[in-house]
Amino acid sequence: MKYSLITAVLLLTTCLCTKAQELYVFSEPASNMAAKSIGIRVTNEGIFNAGAMNRTIPELMLSFNKNLMTHVQGFFSDMDGKYRLEGGSLYAKYRFMSVDGTQSHLRAAAFGRISTSKRPVYTEDINLEGDNSGLQGGIVVTKLLHKLALSGTVAYNKAFVSANRKMAGMPQADQLISYSLSSGYLVLPIVYKNYNQPNFNVYFEMLGKTNPENGNTYLDFAPAVQAIINSRTRIDLGYRFQVAGDIPGRYNKNMYLIRAEFNFFNVLK
Amino acid sequence: MKTFKYFILFSALFISRATFAQQITKAEVQVNGLTCSMCSRATETSLKSLGFIDSVTPDLNRNVFVLSFKADQEVDIDQIRDKVQDAGFSIGDLSATMNFKNTAVNAEGIAQVDGNVYQFTNAKSKTLDGPVTAKVIDKDFISSAAFKKKAAELNSPAYLSGKGVISGKETRIFHLSI
Repeated sequence: MKYSLITAVLLLTTCLCTKAQELYVFSEPASNMAAKSIGIRVTNEGIFNAGAMNRTIPELMLSFNKNLMTHVQGFFSDMDGKYRLEGGSLYAKYRFMSVDGTQSHLRAAAFGRISTSKRPVYTEDINLEGDNSGLQGGIVVTKLLHKLALSGTVAYNKAFVSANRKMAGMPQADQLISYSLSSGYLVLPIVYKNYNQPNFNVYFEMLGKTNPENGNTYLDFAPAVQAIINSRTRIDLGYRFQVAGDIPGRYNKNMYLIRAEFNFFNVLK
Repeated sequence: MKTFKYFILFSALFISRATFAQQITKAEVQVNGLTCSMCSRATETSLKSLGFIDSVTPDLNRNVFVLSFKADQEVDIDQIRDKVQDAGFSIGDLSATMNFKNTAVNAEGIAQVDGNVYQFTNAKSKTLDGPVTAKVIDKDFISSAAFKKKAAELNSPAYLSGKGVISGKETRIFHLSI
């Protein structure tokens, strides 16, 4: 059932689109930012789960060379009462494979993340972008074909739960395998004239997590739209919702996301 | 025979240094692996950081950048490759307009101008004069598949490494097709 669903979605995206992008909204592509560039992101997540909650994620992205880049994130939310700083995360990605062709490429990268969060732990779901302290390591492979971009990610997530964050009688986070399959395409412009033309991209991502110990699994669908202005500024709007399985108590079950990203190319010495 | 070769090469170097001047005036770089204008802009910004580049004109649909160079500065083709790779992409084709002034291409297809060594794959024993459009066919200047094919065809260690011993010194050798 799940496979046929995935195949159907893949076929749909392949047929609908001849233009694509890989600046995914809910995952990262294998490609890096241009070397010696800086990116600044501000993301707001709105979660409709046990009442409306908000999380704000300021993020700084630095690329040291063509293969290595890093993201530094801070997490602020009102999920435990008043709006506060709840943690931070450091993410690094190393591109180890790159095969380029005319208007196509295949890239692969390894990534790792270390996160901290003050939030108490109520669920075995692990979200290293705000809800949990822990480590993540994984592989991402991205294929760009003319303007259709497909990307797959597999990662291992390990939560660190200190005694004072454990809630009695509640499920405990330990480890999870996360995976995603993302597709994107460029809708506009059909023909490029200059850098000032806005680009408009449409994304569809499938995001899943499985607890290897008990097999608890969920699968989310996450459609998103994106505008790129002046070839430097990116605006994302996305929504993710659960379509199969469940892990009780998960926070980002039904969530919208709005993001602004500003890029400064070749500014690092 | 080897000594004779080096003698020829050395004299060619000497003569070209003394008598001829050559300038790369323009290059058309087709960049592989990109389709988006944000990627193009990152590539253009990266290229513009090179001091010898005067202007960069992109063709966003063909992913081609037309480079013009400052008249008084030496053009380093390898740095162009490095800057494209820094942006995360690679060169699929680089065609340079080179102004030759009675430059001799020897029997082995080698010409030396202003300290640069050019190995022509399809010209030998001739004199080049005036503007010539030459395609750089070294590694990372053409697609890796095209490079592999060319390497098998040429069967030359200098082509594989982009270097060779000229006048007793290991020297960068640019392989050109005109």
